[in-house]
Amino acid sequence: MMPFTAILWHDLSMLSRSWLVRLWLAGTALLAAFQLLANWERFQTAPLIAILLLPYLIFPWSLVVMMLSVTPMSGAQGGFIADGILSRPVTRYAYLLAAWTARVILVQTVFLIVTVPAIAIAALAERPPEADPVTLYGVAASLLVVMLVLTFLVSVGFLLGTTFRNTLLALVVLVFIWFPVNAVLNTFSLEEFSPISLTQALPTLLRQPWQEKEAAEPAPELDTAFQDAIAFFGALGGSQPASPEQNQGFFEQGDYEDFSLGRVLLGYGIPALVSVLLASIIFNLRDL
Amino acid sequence: MTSRVFARRPSSPVVAPNSSITLSLAIRTEHLTKIYAQRLVAVNDLNLEVPSGSIFGLLGPNGAGKTSTLRLLLGLHRPSAGRAEVFGRPCGVNRVSVRRLIGYLPTNPKLPGHMRPLEYLDLLGKLYGLPSQIRKPRLASLVRAVGLLGATGQPIRTFSTGMTTRLGIAASLIGDPPLLIWDEPTAGLDPSARRFTLDLIRELGRTRTIVVSTHILSDIDQVCSDVGVMHEGRMIFSGSMREMKRRLTQNVFRLDLDGAADDRDAFVTKVNALVGVSASVSPSGFVMVQVADGLSHSAMLSEILSLVDTTNICLQNVHSGQNETEDVYLQLLHEDEAHGFQRFTLDAGGGDDAVHRDSLA
Repeated sequence: MMPFTAILWHDLSMLSRSWLVRLWLAGTALLAAFQLLANWERFQTAPLIAILLLPYLIFPWSLVVMMLSVTPMSGAQGGFIADGILSRPVTRYAYLLAAWTARVILVQTVFLIVTVPAIAIAALAERPPEADPVTLYGVAASLLVVMLVLTFLVSVGFLLGTTFRNTLLALVVLVFIWFPVNAVLNTFSLEEFSPISLTQALPTLLRQPWQEKEAAEPAPELDTAFQDAIAFFGALGGSQPASPEQNQGFFEQGDYEDFSLGRVLLGYGIPALVSVLLASIIFNLRDL
Repeated sequence: MTSRVFARRPSSPVVAPNSSITLSLAIRTEHLTKIYAQRLVAVNDLNLEVPSGSIFGLLGPNGAGKTSTLRLLLGLHRPSAGRAEVFGRPCGVNRVSVRRLIGYLPTNPKLPGHMRPLEYLDLLGKLYGLPSQIRKPRLASLVRAVGLLGATGQPIRTFSTGMTTRLGIAASLIGDPPLLIWDEPTAGLDPSARRFTLDLIRELGRTRTIVVSTHILSDIDQVCSDVGVMHEGRMIFSGSMREMKRRLTQNVFRLDLDGAADDRDAFVTKVNALVGVSASVSPSGFVMVQVADGLSHSAMLSEILSLVDTTNICLQNVHSGQNETEDVYLQLLHEDEAHGFQRFTLDAGGGDDAVHRDSLA
């Protein structure tokens, strides 16, 4: 266990000192503050929180997560891994798991450090829009969904970083997988898993009570301005939001009441685990 | 102080699994082969035996497969065929127990530039699973022993090549392993750093097995008790330094003479007049004298030297071609290239004795 924790702490320390992470932390704090201030009087609590979570699911922070996730197994890092770590009494599994855990922890930490205070302000402050029935369960579930998507991104990035020795190539492939994912999922009628659909469903999830019978009032329909915001971030990331008019399958209920947290957890959780498993197999077969 | 730091503790004997006897072989490979992407044969049917307690020099030109062999032992590469053992334990990608026995110093080690020496050694100590009460004093001793005490506050990226190598040496010793594998430890070092490293190898060699891979022959000459010569992925010679030097039985002597060119030419003419001796002037101005087989070297040399007195030239040095590691090494490489197809047919007849026959060829 000592080698695992040593690599984990070393990686965490290395990552936290990197300029990418520092800039990301500053950038995400600034953007969250800007989003809060710009939409202070505009949105109810649920769409405002969804707007705060949007950059992590779509753009630009998903891109930063990708950049962090592809590096540990590829590029110049390879030399240090082989000579400095894996020539010592450490298994490749232990190294891979520690490096993956470090990135997951770092990404989640940055995400939570910024979003939790911002969500608290959005939910607790007295603002001009009428009160919104956002639940604690809804907030926790929404955070869990975004954290799961981020973990999925780190895992897929890890797999690609292990498969391709070239960092840039791994990043480009990941970008080409993630940003058009809406269209791909739409093709296979799995659009409920797409990042844009998740964002659109977040306000509904945020208003969901712990138990269905406690539901007091139906959730209001999505604000047009909120839809515009999703379209804006989606366009920045090169994604085309699936509109209710185009697809009647998942979006026929405009209030997203059929959103299933369990399905999303499985939909992102299983591929994330499979990615880590594949990465460990590939890494184990590789010459360093 | 230095000896105390590098001395292995007697409480850590190297024993074979399920055995109570100390092994006589530190490294053993059988038909070890590594082919990269079905294109490049890096290690070719390698049979290697490194005696425990020896300082073994792994010699070979660039691209001979030395580093690939070492990385196969460490489990950084997967063998295409064959097997390798360290102190009787099979090597492999996830063989932690084998790597615990090895202290590895790579060529021009790539160390984490943002870390400081003590942080780096502490990390490695943790990778070896050393508890804090052992790890901390040991890393402090090592930093002092390799002369980096004054640089503990500097990030590693500011280190010179020599300092990086010294830190790499300390890193290879943090786990107190019985086997050290150092890949070109003197590459890129200035004379004083090189001297330090060679002295250290001698010092460490008293208590550990050391494998030094290099293509710098003078390093091998100075520190190694045993040597293996690799060429194109094969072990073309393996044995003691003395055995290797005995292989060269040249009848050529080099005379360093001081005098006018005409006088030197006259001397060469006189030497050529002797029966069974031929002399010539090399491009660098030395007189090369070859004595025919069957003649006494000492008698012929005596006659030749008496001829020097009859001329106006002055003898500065007599140099025998024997016992020169470089000459033996080059001869081995030349023989290996010349016997390529013959070696193939010998191998086809029975692989086990191939290396032995090669070394006798």
